[in-house]
This record gives sequence, C-alpha cells and structure tokens, in this order.
Amino acid sequence: MTRSRIIYRLIFLFVVFALMITVPFTLTMISQVKRIVTDAPALKAAQDAGQGMAFGELSSRLLDHAVPYIFYILVMAIMLAIFFSRKLMASLNELHRGSVAIRNGDYGITLRAYAEDELAEVIRSFNDMTSSIRLTTSELRKKDMYVNAMLDPLWVVDDMNRLVDVNPAFVGLFGYQRDEILGFAIDLFITENPGAPKRDDYEVMRHNGASTIYEADITTRHGTRMPALISESPILSDGAIIGKIGILRDFREQRELREEIQRSRDYVETVINSIEDQLMVIDRDYRIVSANHIALESFGEKIIGEPCHAVAHDSPEPCWAEGRECPVRTVFGSGTASRVTHRHVNPDGQARYHEIVASPIKDLSGNVVQVIELIRDVSDRIRHEEDLFLKNRELVALNSIAGILSRSLRPDEIFASVLDKMIELMKMGGGGIFFIDEQNKDMLCQYHRGISDEYVTQIGRIQLGQDIPGQVAMTGQIITTADISTDPRVESSMMKNSGIKGYCCVPIRGKERIIGVYCLFSFKSRDFTPEEENILVSIGEMTGIALENIRLYEKMKDLYNAQKQRRDAEQDQLLSLTAGLGSEGDLRHAMGSVLEILKNIFHADYAWLLVRDSGGVLVLKASSSDKEPEDSVIFQCGARSIEDHSLEIRGPVVVSDIPKDTRFYIPAEISGPLYKTAVSVPMCIGEKAIGVFSLYYLNSRKFDDEELHFLKIIANMLSVSLERYNYYTESVAEKGLSAAVLQGVRDCIVTVDTGGKIISANRSFERLSGIRPDGERGLHLCDAVALQNGNRGLGEALKECLDAALSGNTAARESVMVTADNRRILMKIDSAPILDPKGKITGAVNVLRDISREKEIDTMKTEIIRSVSHEFRTPLSAIVGMTEMILDGDIDAKKEREYLQTVFNEGVRLSNMVSDLLSIAKIEGGMEKITVSEVEMKSFFDDLMASVAASLEKKGAVVSCDTGGIKSVMADGPKLKQVLLNILDNSLTFSDRGCHIAINVKKGDNTITITVRDDGWGIPEEDLPHLKERFFRGRHGARIKGTGLGLFICSEILRMHGGSMKIESIAGAGTEVSVNLPITGPK
Amino acid sequence: MSKVVVVDDEPFILMMIEDKLKKGNIDVVTVRESVRALEIIRREKPDLVILDWMMPEVSGIELCRTIKQDKVLGKIPVFMLTAKGQDSDEQLGMRTGAQRYITKPFSPKVLLEMVREALSNVNP
Repeated sequence: MTRSRIIYRLIFLFVVFALMITVPFTLTMISQVKRIVTDAPALKAAQDAGQGMAFGELSSRLLDHAVPYIFYILVMAIMLAIFFSRKLMASLNELHRGSVAIRNGDYGITLRAYAEDELAEVIRSFNDMTSSIRLTTSELRKKDMYVNAMLDPLWVVDDMNRLVDVNPAFVGLFGYQRDEILGFAIDLFITENPGAPKRDDYEVMRHNGASTIYEADITTRHGTRMPALISESPILSDGAIIGKIGILRDFREQRELREEIQRSRDYVETVINSIEDQLMVIDRDYRIVSANHIALESFGEKIIGEPCHAVAHDSPEPCWAEGRECPVRTVFGSGTASRVTHRHVNPDGQARYHEIVASPIKDLSGNVVQVIELIRDVSDRIRHEEDLFLKNRELVALNSIAGILSRSLRPDEIFASVLDKMIELMKMGGGGIFFIDEQNKDMLCQYHRGISDEYVTQIGRIQLGQDIPGQVAMTGQIITTADISTDPRVESSMMKNSGIKGYCCVPIRGKERIIGVYCLFSFKSRDFTPEEENILVSIGEMTGIALENIRLYEKMKDLYNAQKQRRDAEQDQLLSLTAGLGSEGDLRHAMGSVLEILKNIFHADYAWLLVRDSGGVLVLKASSSDKEPEDSVIFQCGARSIEDHSLEIRGPVVVSDIPKDTRFYIPAEISGPLYKTAVSVPMCIGEKAIGVFSLYYLNSRKFDDEELHFLKIIANMLSVSLERYNYYTESVAEKGLSAAVLQGVRDCIVTVDTGGKIISANRSFERLSGIRPDGERGLHLCDAVALQNGNRGLGEALKECLDAALSGNTAARESVMVTADNRRILMKIDSAPILDPKGKITGAVNVLRDISREKEIDTMKTEIIRSVSHEFRTPLSAIVGMTEMILDGDIDAKKEREYLQTVFNEGVRLSNMVSDLLSIAKIEGGMEKITVSEVEMKSFFDDLMASVAASLEKKGAVVSCDTGGIKSVMADGPKLKQVLLNILDNSLTFSDRGCHIAINVKKGDNTITITVRDDGWGIPEEDLPHLKERFFRGRHGARIKGTGLGLFICSEILRMHGGSMKIESIAGAGTEVSVNLPITGPK
Repeated sequence: MSKVVVVDDEPFILMMIEDKLKKGNIDVVTVRESVRALEIIRREKPDLVILDWMMPEVSGIELCRTIKQDKVLGKIPVFMLTAKGQDSDEQLGMRTGAQRYITKPFSPKVLLEMVREALSNVNP
C-alpha cells in the first residue's frame, strides 16, 4: 500500500463510497422524478381536482424521499470509509495503549505497527524511546547498585561542594545517616592533608576540573580521625562543572608503609654515612648517582654525575675497556654481586688497593637499575698478605729442609736435597757444597748443581781463607754479593769470568766448628735481603747440626751393634734352654740338657735338679753326672741342706765356702769331691715350691746380682715347664679316656665351634655320615651334612638344634638321615652348648642317635595292635555273639551244635593268629629255631594237599602238583608246610572262583625250587617291593582280611633255612611264588 | 513283616543274624557274595540292609555308596557291621550314608534292638 496522508485517504475513501452509493441512487431518483414528471397530467389532474399545491406536494414528496436517502448514503459512506480504514484505527489504539502505559510508569511496553504509514513512524519512535529509556534505567540501576555495593565510600557534591548523595560505604565509615548529611559541605568531613606529597600541577588540575587524587584526613561521627586517599572527579554538564564525585580509600596502611619506608631510608642513609668504606651508587652509564660522605671526602665533592672510571682511575674509558675487571659491568650483566680488588694510584703517586663489592639495585621486575659499590681500602691487608706469603714460602722451604734432615740419616741424600731446596727457595741458578778437610786446611766441592763437573774440577781445592768460600769457612760469616764480577772480595778470575752475578756463600756450622759452606749463584744480578740471609744462615746451622748428629748416630750404632752381638750370644744360650723346656715330650731328658747348659754357662763343676714328689720328699730328677740313679730319693733323713734352705726362703742361696759353713748338710751323693761353692735356686709356682736346682764349684766363686737374677729366670722357666708337664701328663690320660669313650659309643658325636664349624667328630659320625672332620674342618656342620648324600632335612634340623645350643639352650629334633652307605635311618639329634669355666659358650656338642629301630618297634607295636584288634574282631564276633544267643536260649538244641562248632573254629582261628604273632615275636627276638630233618617230598605234598582240600573245594580251585621226581629235602617240615600253606592260601584268597594253581618242584645245583603259580588277580606293581614287610597289606588288603604277617613269616622261615622266596606277578594275570631251598639244609 | 537283607562273607555271621532277627519276627535275606548283593536288594526291596565292610569282590562301603546314590534304593536305611573299628573308618561309614555303624564283635541282642528301632521309623 502506498504511503498517503491519512486525511487524504479518508476523504478519498469517503468520496469513492459516496459516489458508489449516490450514482445508483441518483439514477433511481431521476427515474422516480421522471415518472412523477411524466405523470404530470395526473398531477395536474390532481391539482385540478382541487387538491392544490400539487407541485408543492411534489417537491415535498421528493424531499421526503431524498432526505432519508441522503442520510443513508452519508452513513453508509462513512461506515465504509471507517471500515476500510480499520488499520488506522488499530494504530491509534496502540498509541493510546502506549500513552496509558507510560503514564503508569511501564517502560517495558512495545507497540505494534499495523501499517507503513505516519502512525507507524510514530509507533517506531515510541518504541525506540521506550527501549532507550529502559536501557538508561537499567544502566542507572546497575550503577546505583555498584555505587551501593562499593566498599570504598563515595559521595556526590554539587558545584557548591554540598553533599548531594553518598553510598552506604560512606554511611558506614562516617557513621552519619544519609539524610542527615545531605546538603552539608563535604569539607566538614574531609580535610585535605596539606603535608602530604602532591603532584606539582595539582592545583591547576583542580582548577581545571580534572580528576585529582590527594591525601586527606577524615573525621567520623565518633570523632575517629584517619588518613584517607581521595579521588575526585568533576561532573560536567555542557562543559561546566556542576558537581563532583569523590571516592575515599583508607590510607592508614599506606601511610604507615610510607613512614616505614621513610624511616628505612633514613636508617639506610645513616648506615651508609656511618660506614667507613666508600659507597657509591652507579647507573648504567657508569655515572655516580650518589655517594656517601667517605666517598665524597675521598674523591671530592664533585663526583656526583661523573663516570666512576674517571673518578677512580682518571680514565676516559670504563675499566673493562682497559682490561680491568669492571664490577659495574659484571653486576649489570649477571644481576648478582661481584667482588674485585682494584689497584688505584693516589694523586700522591702511592698505590692503594681497593676491594670493591658491587651489588645490584633491582626494580620491582627484577631488572638491575643501579649498582651499589662498596669500596674498601685493603692496601694494608694486601701488603700483609704478600708478606705472609713470602714468610710462608720460607717456612715451607725450611720445613721441608727440616723434614729432609729428620727423615734421612744419609749425608749424601741430605746435602743433595738441601742444596736443591735452597736453590729453589732463593730462586738461584745453581750451587755447590764445599766440605772442610781439617787435615789439609782446604775445602773440596762435593755436591753441585747447575755447574759442570769440569768446572768443579777446575775450581779444585780452595784454601781456607782464600776466595769467598774460604773466607766464609774461616770466619763463619755469610757473604752475599749482588754481582760477583764487580765484587773486590773475589780473587779467582775464573769465578769472575764465569758469568755468575748474584752469589751467596753460607757456612755449614756444626756445634763447635765450621764443617763446610753452601755456595749459591744466579746468572742475574740479585740482592739478598737481611731476611734471606737469616734464612740461609739458619739452613746452614740446621744442616751442620744434622750432620754432626748423623756422625754421632753412626758412632752410637757401632756401639749398639757390638752390644747387640754380645746380647745375641746370651740369648742363644737362653734359647737353647727354652727349646729344651718347650718340648712337652721327654721332660726328664730336657731337664738334663738344661742342667748341662746351665753348668756350661756358669762354668759349674756339678749341677743337679731335685723335684718334690707328692709326699713332699725331694727326688733327684736330673744331674750333670750320670752316676746317680735317677728318681733316687734324696734327703730322706730330713737333714737340712742348702736346697732345703733355698726352698724355705723361696730364693737363691749361695754358700761360698761349703767346708766352713756348718749350717748345711751335704748329701752323700755329692760329698765325694770337696766342693767349695754352691748356689741353690728354688723353683716355685706362686707360693708352691716344686723343686730346686743347684750348681756346685770346686773353687771359690762369687755371684753378682745379674747372675742370680738370670738363675731365677731359669728356675721360673723350669718350674713352669715342670708344672705344664705334669698337667700335660694328667690331661693326656684324661683325654685318652674320654677319647676312648667318645670313639667307642655307637652314637654320633660332633662338636662345633661358635660358628657351627666342625671341631671334632667320633668314628660313628664319620662312618654313618661319611664326613671326615679333617676334610670338612672349617665347613659349617649343617652345610657339611646337607651336602653329604642330600641330607637337607637333617641339615635343617641340625641347624635348629645348633642355633638353640649356641644360644645356651639344649635342643632335640628328629630327622631322617641318608647314610654314607645309602641307608635311610631316623636320627635323634641332641644338642647342648659347651661352656668354658666362665660360663661363656665356646661351641656345641651334638649327639646323633640312630632311633630307626626304636621307631620301627614303636610303629610295629601300633601296627600289631591295630591289625590284630581288627583281625580278632571277626572270630570274636562268633564267640561273643553265638554264646550270647545260646545263653539267651535263642537257639534250639539242633542248631546249638553248629553254633558251638563255629565258636570252636573261630577260637582256633584266633589261636592261629596268636601263634603267628608269637612267631613274629620269636623271629624278631631271634628266638625262632628250626629243626631240620629229611622231608620226603611226596608225603609232604600229599599232606599239604589234604590240608588245603577243604579250601580248594570251597573256591572250586583246580590244583596240579609236580614234585619233579625229587625225593627229599633237608628242612623243618612243619615250617616248610606253613610256608607253602601260606602261599597257597594267598593264591586262593586273591583269585576268583574256579582258579588254577600249579605247584612245580625243580632241582638246581644243591637247591630245590618250589614254584606255586596261580591265575588269580595278580599283585599291583607298586605293592611288589613291600610284600615281605611286616603288616604290609597291598591294594587288595582294603577288602580282604588278613594280618599282613604271612609272607614276612614265610620269608623269615626260608631265611633260617638258608633259602629265599621270589614273588613275580602281573596284575590281572596271576602270581608266581618261587621258594628256593638248599637240598642239604641250612649250613 | 519287615524284611532285612544281610550281606557278609562270613557264613556264621549271616547265620547268627538270620537266627536272631527271625526270632524277632523279621524276615531275613542273607547274601554271601557281595557281587550279588545289589541285585538281591533290588529284588527283595528290603526295609533295612546290613553290610559287612571287608568282603572280597565288592566291599561293603562301595555297596553302601551305591545304595545311597540309587534313586529307588537310596531311602533304605543301611547298617554297617564291620571289624574295622577305627574312628576314621566309622566316620567314613557315616559319611557314606550308613544309619548305624556297628563294630564286631557285636551283641545279636543289641543288633535286634537297633534293627527294630530302625524298622519302626520306616513302618510306624
């Protein structure tokens, strides 16, 4: 629809509709009028008829017709116009709705445009307006919310600084209600802090209405004052400031921080100014930013802003550019502190050393912005260090020389080393050592360095007093010269022209005289400081004394060697004594030798040795003469002899003149020759005197203390040996006894040390285990046992016992052992600790006892009881049950006999079992005997068959018997029958009904073989090896009654006959039992 | 009249039991060969079976197991009457399903009592 002005459209519509209605109506009207007009005669007639006013009537009639029509037309036209303009009306309605909503404050309304006309434009504008209002409103709300939610107090003032609005934080901080303070000047609450630092353009900015930040103090309602940071922004309207918005922030912490920083700054400044080192802050351009007063004093006031290198080194370039280490550059480069020592030259030309410690000053992001340099004058220290270094070097050299002197006793080595050290210490080119020849009064070079042998030969001998070395040797004073070529003291032209410059000559001073001189030279001119001269003199003295010491030592050594030789000779004698006594064997012989040696050493004419026997009587044990019968009892009469006396006083007794000394009795044995002197020495162990020996001299002799002491030592040695010999004899006897017991017992006895290693074992152990203690010595018992024949279980059991025993307890275990001859036996191990007299565990003794037999008997007992009780039950059932029934009268007379017969039969069965058991007991006890006689084969087998006939018949068995033409055999008939009955019984028992049994007898060399073969169930393979064991019941035993004794008894009976039994069987196919017997009976 | 089958390889045991039970008005069928036992039990449908353990061919305990595992025969109470007197044997017997385990030697009088008691449970 095209856009049109509303009014035009309305009119247009109206006209259209008016025309649409008017045209047909007019046409009708016209025809009506025409009809009326054409009907004029009628009208005329009517008029004529006196109806008058006909035309007027006509007009009136026309009007009457026309008016309603016209009204109708107009209404219709308007209605149609309105109808066709309904969209216009809807738009108007929308607008109305909108105006009502706005009036009610609802800006959420959106009006609908019905047509694309002016009204639609109005509606769009309306919608735009409302949405804009909505946006603004929500924005305002949000802002309001933010303002209210702000933690920082906020206020708005008008252009007169009066409060217009405040947020809740403001209320909270100041304590005033919002309404209370609106309209008041903000200055009442906030006072600008005039002392606080401000930006320079602060006032200008405030004036121009720019945002400003300043510090202020606030006062709350409660009178609290606090610092605050205020941020103020103007509210502009048309470029004019109509008010301000202010935000306040609590500034307490910041202010404290600032004060703190200020204090720190002051403190740092004080520190910096109070330190005695120079301090500078230097920037990246090497310019000094600041310096403390020491630095200012040192370098002048104008250094701030100057480059550091210019100030410190008077150099236009930084240190690094001139090859010096630059701390500033290092710190900027690395970001870490740096320490260097710089040599600065003062304006007065004096060199100073400065130690510079440079540290970085970093900004918040860690970048080095400046460097702080701490400069300390360390000149004195450096100088001291240099001095110290020098001293140290000297000390080291002296020390090493002293070391050489003390280490070595060879003069060659000492002088060569010392010369080298001196050259090294003094930094000389070479040198030599001259020694004084006292006889010739001259000196000869004996050691040299840095000069040729020819040169030394050329120098030759230097007379004392001649040249520098000669002068030094004479005077004992050191001589040094910086340049020998110009020194007037030098006489030898050879030395002058040798090219040597620096030279020193040092005396080698002994205790009382000069021994020689050291000469050191250098090919450069060289000054010697007094300190150096002192050191050289000291070295000279040291080596001199050392040399004298060495000479002294050599002398001492010679003396010592001479003494040593003498002592060795004495020692040899002693050794031969001790060797004689050391052997434990023939003591008597040893004592004889000792006595002989003693006699020789002390040049005695006669010597003897007496020992107290158990009765306290002295018995002659050895003498230097072989005349006396040994073991003859001396001094039986109890007379007092020299020997008695020495024993009494427990010390040596010397009688220098025997004939004159009447105190002592001289025994008849030695009274033959006239002995003049005697010495008697007792042999004691503690307080116990065990004997005495004496030396007799024909001539007078004296004994000094040393000799008596020596004799006492010999006496001690002899007594110890004697005692030991006695013990040894006793212990050998005891040992022999215990060893005999140990070896004799059947039990295995092994002793081990605390480490479980075998110390000894008796023969039983060796025999059973196959372990030879000699071979396995050092091996752990358990390991030895476990390794032998795979006795791991025994090894473990032993280990348990050993562990217990070695921790002081006794223990017992049982374990199977595989013996050396591959038998399995059950061993009982008993272990106990071996304790020394102090109760300390020194090892363990283990007794292994073969308890297989005991165990076997034990098992057998159980087996017998079990098996017998089982086998006895069935026959007992008959005896008990049947007799009970008979007694109860359950059985009539006719049947009673049958019952009694059964009881009897079963009783017999029981009694047979008991016999079997008794046989076993007899066999086991070796009591079973056989009575051999000739057994005639035919009658034997007839009898046998008769015995089994009933059983055979019961089982329906067929038996063939072939005696092979053998007449007789020597055997115990009843027992052989027992064997065969047992075999046959087995065949019948372990076969089905109607089985076949074949008995064959064959003759071999001196033997007969009786074979019983059946076609029964056979014997399972696994049962075969055990058939002859007592109480063995094979697989069939589970359902077949029996004691398991039969075949055992059979094989035992055959064994007694010197025969044997062989059982061959295939399960399911039958069994063949072969009985082998010697024809002539057992041997 | 209740019927009891007795299986034992010892004739005198069978005789004893037969005589005693018959005296107690109980019908007895005796079996000596254990291989035939099962067949006879099936045929006779007894109210009670008394079995020896140790028998050639088929052992009593095997018989007991077979009876107890059989759908029809399983309900028949079984007595083991045996010379095997060890505790372990008895436990095995009871586990196999025997109602009573009687060890030899036994009192026929007591056996009769037991049989009666068992039968009264079967035919009240």
